[in-house]
Amino acid sequence: MQNYKLAWRNLWRNRRRTMITSASVFFAIFFALLMRSLQTGSYAYMYRNVIESYSGYVQLQGENWWDEKTIDNSFPYTSEVRDWLLGDENVDDVIPRLESFALAAGGQNTKGVMVLGIDPEKESLLSNIKSRVVQYKLTPEAIASLVNEPSIPDKTKKLLPVYENACFSGDERLLSDLGLDKNKAEEYIPILKKYAGFRGDPIAPGKPGVWLGEKLASYLELYPGDTLVLLSQGYHGSTAAGKYEIKGLIKLPTSEISGSVVYLPFDIAQQLYNSGQNLTSVVLHLKDNEDKSLKSTIERLSETAPPGTRLIDWYEMNDVIIQQMEADNVSGMFMIGILYLVIAFGIFGTVLMMTAERRREFGVLVAIGMQKKKLAAVMSYEMLYIGLLGILIGALICIPIILFGVHHPIVFKGELAHMMEEYDFEPKLVFASINLYFLWQILVVLFMVFLSLIHPLRKIMKLQVVHALRA
Amino acid sequence: MLTLSLTSLAQTGLSAADIIKKADDKFNGEESGIAVMAMTVVRPTWERTIEFKSWNKGTENSLTLITAPAREKGQTFLKRDNEMWTWNPSISRLIKLPPSMMSQGWMGSDYTNDDILHESSLVRDYTHEIVGEEVIEGRNCYKIKMTAKEDAAVIWGYQVRWIDKKDFLFLKAELYDEDGYLIRTETGSDIRQMDGRLIPTRIELIPADEEGQKTIVQIKEIKFNAPMEDSFFSQQNMKRIR
Repeated sequence: MQNYKLAWRNLWRNRRRTMITSASVFFAIFFALLMRSLQTGSYAYMYRNVIESYSGYVQLQGENWWDEKTIDNSFPYTSEVRDWLLGDENVDDVIPRLESFALAAGGQNTKGVMVLGIDPEKESLLSNIKSRVVQYKLTPEAIASLVNEPSIPDKTKKLLPVYENACFSGDERLLSDLGLDKNKAEEYIPILKKYAGFRGDPIAPGKPGVWLGEKLASYLELYPGDTLVLLSQGYHGSTAAGKYEIKGLIKLPTSEISGSVVYLPFDIAQQLYNSGQNLTSVVLHLKDNEDKSLKSTIERLSETAPPGTRLIDWYEMNDVIIQQMEADNVSGMFMIGILYLVIAFGIFGTVLMMTAERRREFGVLVAIGMQKKKLAAVMSYEMLYIGLLGILIGALICIPIILFGVHHPIVFKGELAHMMEEYDFEPKLVFASINLYFLWQILVVLFMVFLSLIHPLRKIMKLQVVHALRA
Repeated sequence: MLTLSLTSLAQTGLSAADIIKKADDKFNGEESGIAVMAMTVVRPTWERTIEFKSWNKGTENSLTLITAPAREKGQTFLKRDNEMWTWNPSISRLIKLPPSMMSQGWMGSDYTNDDILHESSLVRDYTHEIVGEEVIEGRNCYKIKMTAKEDAAVIWGYQVRWIDKKDFLFLKAELYDEDGYLIRTETGSDIRQMDGRLIPTRIELIPADEEGQKTIVQIKEIKFNAPMEDSFFSQQNMKRIR
């Protein structure tokens, strides 16, 4: 009889043993896949967050701006420059920016801030800044009123003090954080709006007005409708001074940025800094941002770039973050290494048990004339089947979970989310869709199965029939 | 020998400190001064000119009003003792310059706010010593080394100044830091009669380590010792003055 057939029959001779062994492989592959999916998914998400929310994949900048970020290193952004950029086959749109620094003053307090002159409409190609405008603020007064509101469930009332002075930019997050039923949004939203509603108006080119980071606003004790004073040095040493109405507050993921950012329509910023047509950078929104076409786009544009400008890609712009993430990824690898170790011992343990259990069986087989080589071959087939079975079931169960997870990332709620945000983590776990990592995990687990095969094979080859028969 | 050197001292009759005081008074006015000036900031790729009018009484009080360009017009700076305020009409704010802004350039020039604040304690804060005589632009000059006094609030280690022997004009100055590195050079030129006095009307400031950078101040009009009340240098007046 063929070895593989023999192995197959052997498997089902002792069903329970087979199931236990393949279950250990199943758990191995299951956890390895989920963990790696979450890891790669979260990294990809962080990358995307960083790149797509701000730097973009490629920017046109004043030649020296990246090294010395002063307004004097800006470049004239004429309509010719815009047409030249839009004329490129891979450029979908351009996002103008003027970035500088200023002293921001409210009533009594003053703080050094980052001033970002943007076009909110264009900016939404990268990240929807408009959706970050604060719509609700749970002030102590609002909480006091909500606690007295009969239609709010008790569970939410208990949660409310945790969110004192918290800002929310959308209905969904507010409802989920307060533990309110999303399906009853129509019932709750008007109540929440009534007590905790917060003014947040748009800003647009041509119209003076600013958005403030939410933390900055609370430091300066300013609210929408108040006036913000900006004082700085403008283009070529001129004085930059202006006062603007605060249109809204912006909720940002990191408190560092939230405490030091002012958004202004870019043309208003040009007036403030007396920079004429100059901008500090233009983000190119590309049709295809894969590495290869990114590179060729940069090469193509660099040849015809106006003097005094340069193109810069996201690797260069985000080098610190990329390094941090790579270091972080190493710690992720380490974690998964530990998981592999646990898995490997799990598989090895079951195989060890199985070998011990079958020692007498092997002894009998060899005693009645089966070649040790053939026995070893049959054993290898058995392990292969068990391994493949475990992997197959594990992968089959993982695929729907991961596919579901890709579309429904795990978003933490309530206190935990609040805590994570305090530490500048986004309370979100993102799955990576199925790609190469999937294959790698399968290979690693398969490798571990074969590694544990060494033990039974050695046992078989060293088998002494007399001893084995007595086992 | 002794007699000879005594006579030469007697001839001039002036110590190094006297020479500095004379030159300082001549340039700034013994009591007060009103000046109209233009300042040109020169940078490798651009330059910009600001015009302003300045009132000063003694070394403690001064008020400066920017008159051009239009964008900057109406800004005023008030200095009283060791404090400096600025008024900006476009934001209607009076701001006291914080210590952190002291090392920044005034109106984008090579003059720092600190330079303007701690101006002309040339006589009191230094010990003076004549170290030689040199000819600058065809004029005989005293070369005077001024070493900052230990307790003086001065950022310079020492200065070397060249002062015209006949008319007591500051023609050149080299300013060194405490480690003896040259930080900037100032030169006075374009010597003219202004309000009855002969003074250099063009002052160039050249920072030592910044290539292609300098600041040129030109005195267009100057009036010495015009009567002025102390109350002229007030925050109210900063907002009023035109």
